[in-house]
Amino acid sequence: MDHILDARDLPPPEPMERTLDALAQMPAEDRLLLRLPRQPFPLFDLLSRLGYVWQVSGSEGDYRILIHLEGTPPAGP
Amino acid sequence: MVDTAGLRLDQAPPLHLPLRLLLTAPVFAAVAGVLLMVWGDQVFASRWTPAALAATHLIVIGFLGQAMCGALLQMLPVVAGAPVPGVRWVAPLVHAALAAGALLVPAGFLGAGSWTLVLGSLSAALGFLVFAGAAAAALARARGAPATVLALRLAVLALVPTVAIGVTLVAALTGWLHLRGFGVWVSTHLTWGLFGWVGLLILGVAYQVVPMFHVTPAYPRVLVKTLAPVLFAGLLAISLSALSGAGDLAWMGQGMMALALALFALATLVLQRGRARPRRDATLLHWWTALGAGIGAAIGWWMQAPDLLLGTLLLVGVGVGLPSAMLLKIVPFLCWFHLQQRQVATGRFEVRVPHMHALVPEGAARWQWALHLTALIVLAAASANPRVSALGGSLLLLAALWLGVLLATAAWRYRSLRAALSVPVEQGQRVRGTGVP
Repeated sequence: MDHILDARDLPPPEPMERTLDALAQMPAEDRLLLRLPRQPFPLFDLLSRLGYVWQVSGSEGDYRILIHLEGTPPAGP
Repeated sequence: MVDTAGLRLDQAPPLHLPLRLLLTAPVFAAVAGVLLMVWGDQVFASRWTPAALAATHLIVIGFLGQAMCGALLQMLPVVAGAPVPGVRWVAPLVHAALAAGALLVPAGFLGAGSWTLVLGSLSAALGFLVFAGAAAAALARARGAPATVLALRLAVLALVPTVAIGVTLVAALTGWLHLRGFGVWVSTHLTWGLFGWVGLLILGVAYQVVPMFHVTPAYPRVLVKTLAPVLFAGLLAISLSALSGAGDLAWMGQGMMALALALFALATLVLQRGRARPRRDATLLHWWTALGAGIGAAIGWWMQAPDLLLGTLLLVGVGVGLPSAMLLKIVPFLCWFHLQQRQVATGRFEVRVPHMHALVPEGAARWQWALHLTALIVLAAASANPRVSALGGSLLLLAALWLGVLLATAAWRYRSLRAALSVPVEQGQRVRGTGVP
């Protein structure tokens, strides 16, 4: 199942804190859809080390980053 | 991290370098509080009393100087992509020189002898000029954030006349040279320091941190392009007036500065009113208090209010208040950021890095703001009734001590968590859950 985290109005570092909390709490097969105004490059570094993969869509002001564990095939929308 | 608006956090210097300046700054505000408790009646008798000069320099060299230099060592590489050259020796040298200057200059004013004053002023000058040289070298290579970089360049430039005039005044005070128009040069020294170095720095830093940490729209483009140059032009006009004796020029310069700073304060308040999150944290409350004090000082200047009231509003309201806001935000943020970096480097993901707000709890930070606000109100009243200055001093002491305790606690937790993150993997299982969410 998909979880949604809208972090567009949060000051740093709350988006990263909440993303890591959400990932830690959700089952391995679930996905997290993160909404942010900019691309979270420092988060990408952390995600790859934690074994997650992600797809980015959207544009400046409203990026959508779909995150799931590597090897777990993403479920349908 | 996620929405840090083009910041390059990977270029930040080792944490202990800026932290040593940021953590010792509150000590000097606390000493200023003690001075006000003991000699408050003299401080508020006239801006020219030795006690008033001692209290002023404890705040501007010890508190403001250390907090601002520490913050800039961190900000320059992150905001402008320009690491400070030699930061590993610049930071300890600036720290030691400013600390020595912040103690010796006030001691010299309070009767410890002219050599103490000379040594203190040279020490502070060394600290500020080494910092200015290193920051100027970094800013020469800066790219991005042009409005911030311009304001920071002008701020660092303003340090040079501040220091040069300050050392010249000490030379005149100790009889090494004769200076005509001593009082005018004291005012020029104060103006370059308070409105040039501090004022321009506040503009440059605010353009970055207000939209980022308070999640507001960016400052209007026309303001960020014009405010710093107008402020600097006002400073030049005042200096030309001091050299030529043209009074109209000084009045015009003061008007330009008051207008630029009042516009900045109003724009900041409007932006913060439209912030995305309604939460009023201690940092925001500190900002509002400082901006209110700054606007009050501008109105007071227009209405020709007493110098002591204007000085209190600017030095305590803005000069202590805004760096306090910055310290309450930047120290836990840096501790959190470096812990995250450490975790990525060591791969110790089973150790939970605490949230930034757990490093400096919001409730405790609000108490610090309340103490500061009360101190400001009582000290402003002391400019009319010096008998309450001891009370104001004790409140300033408490606010500074509480600030120091909050920052030191965050740094201590950083150290213990960093140690947990550094344990080799084989032993790592034993530290599982060390971090507090």
